[in-house]
Amino acid sequence: MIEINKINKWYGDFHVLQDVDEVIEHGQTVVICGPSGSGKSTLLRCINGLEPFQKGEILVDKTSVKDPKTDLYKLREKIGMVFQRFELYPHMTAMENITLAPRKVRKWSKERAQDKAMELLKRVGMVDKADAYPANLSGGQQQRIAIARSLAMEPAYMMFDEPTSALDPEMIKEVLDVMVELAKAGMTMLCVTHEMGFAKEVADEIIFMDKGKIVERGTYDDFFNNPQTDRAKLFLSQILD
Amino acid sequence: MFDVIGRNFVFLMGGLLTTFELAILALAGGIGLGMLVGLARLSKNPWIYYPITAYVNLLRNIPLILVIFWFYFVMPIITGDAMAPFPAAVIAFVIFEATYFGEIFRAGYQTISKDLTAAAFSTGMTYSQTARYILIPIAFKRMAPSLITQSIVTFQDTSLAFVIGLTELVRRSSIVDNMEVRSIELYGFAAFVYFIVCYTGSQISLYYENKAREVNLI
Amino acid sequence: MNFAYDFDWSVLWRDPYGVMLIKGLGMTIFLGISAWIIAMAVGIAVGTLRITKYRLLRMIGTAYVEVFRNIPLLVQMFFWFYAGPMLFGETLSRQINRLDGLAIYVSIIGLGLYTASRIAEHLRAGFASISKDQYHAVLSTGMTQVQMYRYVIIPYALRLTIPPLTTEFLTVFKNTSIVMTIGVAELTFQSYQIDAETFHGLEATTGAMFIYLLLGMTVVKFMDLVERKYKIQGLMGR
Repeated sequence: MIEINKINKWYGDFHVLQDVDEVIEHGQTVVICGPSGSGKSTLLRCINGLEPFQKGEILVDKTSVKDPKTDLYKLREKIGMVFQRFELYPHMTAMENITLAPRKVRKWSKERAQDKAMELLKRVGMVDKADAYPANLSGGQQQRIAIARSLAMEPAYMMFDEPTSALDPEMIKEVLDVMVELAKAGMTMLCVTHEMGFAKEVADEIIFMDKGKIVERGTYDDFFNNPQTDRAKLFLSQILD
Repeated sequence: MFDVIGRNFVFLMGGLLTTFELAILALAGGIGLGMLVGLARLSKNPWIYYPITAYVNLLRNIPLILVIFWFYFVMPIITGDAMAPFPAAVIAFVIFEATYFGEIFRAGYQTISKDLTAAAFSTGMTYSQTARYILIPIAFKRMAPSLITQSIVTFQDTSLAFVIGLTELVRRSSIVDNMEVRSIELYGFAAFVYFIVCYTGSQISLYYENKAREVNLI
Repeated sequence: MNFAYDFDWSVLWRDPYGVMLIKGLGMTIFLGISAWIIAMAVGIAVGTLRITKYRLLRMIGTAYVEVFRNIPLLVQMFFWFYAGPMLFGETLSRQINRLDGLAIYVSIIGLGLYTASRIAEHLRAGFASISKDQYHAVLSTGMTQVQMYRYVIIPYALRLTIPPLTTEFLTVFKNTSIVMTIGVAELTFQSYQIDAETFHGLEATTGAMFIYLLLGMTVVKFMDLVERKYKIQGLMGR
């Protein structure tokens, strides 16, 4: 369970996150949406300690992210993260990308890591690209490898930061399919995305953020059919046209 | 401890003056010739392109010290007279540095896209207006950091004229050192003087680089 | 013009001059490779210092680069060779000055430390072109800072830096010529020596130029192979 308790973050004078509250239960899929600059991506980076925050508290399975005694590296092992621009290691093959962390962090043998990687490659439909380098893969293929790379650490949570927004339209579906399958298999997921079809299919809750605040939250139907704020109405009209 | 510097200050500063004189002539000549070399490296005429390319590639593969020696040896044969170190050094530096400046100019000329020229023409500007208001300012702004960096390198390179006996800063430091054996102070002082000049130059280069980046010129 | 000069190209092969040039070339190659090894090790360390999150370490890295690249290599060599031993105090400096091949050690260290500053600078540019999210991606898999640099960031930056490093590797061999000024018998020194003995410096230096040219072309060929082996597939098309 991830508990976010009134966190506040400033970049200098800029108040990026204001009193953000949220609880993500095991097995839930939460979709975060909102205009750019609303603090969605920053929120994800606060959860796994990639970005510090000044006030409030985040607990991941009752472990405080803010507590200086917390081993953030250990914490990150159980939170996988997928990025907008994939961020694969360009000098390594798909297989090497996936096996690196299990081998170096978990100290798995090469064989064990590769077996795990093959299983994941099968899951994301990329077995034939195991030895390909990122630059020779399409965006959709790279993103699926990136998802496999995160899953290789057998995380309890997965965070997605606009995983399809850098993709050509025809590749979006192949990535979303993998994510849907993951959600349905019971993974706890936190997804920053504007893909409302995806939200409709798997989201247990949708959070709408604006200017560093959560301004609406609810089920897909609540949010989509009955948005409460003008800001959310405007946003929906913009992404749906 | 640094009394040795104080006692020989005028002598050492005279060396620095020679260093500056050589650097200024080397830069003026090197940049001037470099502009032409840069153009020649983009020429479609094989009679210009190949000889100049060979000249550039040859000199860029050879240490400057050797080039200085070579000119020091070859000049008397051409002029029939022994040559003083200073003019020999100037000639060697101009011909050597022009290859490095030439490559900077070539890159600078190349970065200007055809479409940009077309865009300027499409607003009704003439070729000379386009060159004056668009092409040359952009090329210069883009090249300014590299030009300054290479100028700093040239300034440091002048120390190599030491080898043919030019009494610039390093040579004069070593002359004093031979008499007084105060190597730490003397070479430390020379290092300090070079550092001040070159560091200032590199900060100026950085300023231009950031300025060019701000407006997305790089 | 005066063409009274009698060319004597035989100084390039005649005994003992041919052997001198070959020995000089051997010394140049030895110095270049040894200095390169030091330069890579120190350069990677300094370049990494410059991007850590600790301000003090970053300042140390920056100071190193600024000092070494803003002072002419010749002055650095003189400082290390003449002043260097004095820094250890009188007794020790006398012992150091008696060392066999002191000039060669100083050359390798001096050239290595100087080149390191240039490698560090290229690496910093390489690091700078790696996006922040790339760092985040590595950390999000649970890797430590050290693992992140060791397995992902440094290897990646080094590969991005291969083209400028190739130029730098060539430059090392050219820069070895500077150590003739402290009496190391490398190629330029030998060609100058031939002039002192025969007064045919023009032929000797011309010969040396072509040897440097050949050396340079060989290095380029070699680096081509390295680049082909290590280049990031599809990233740097050739």
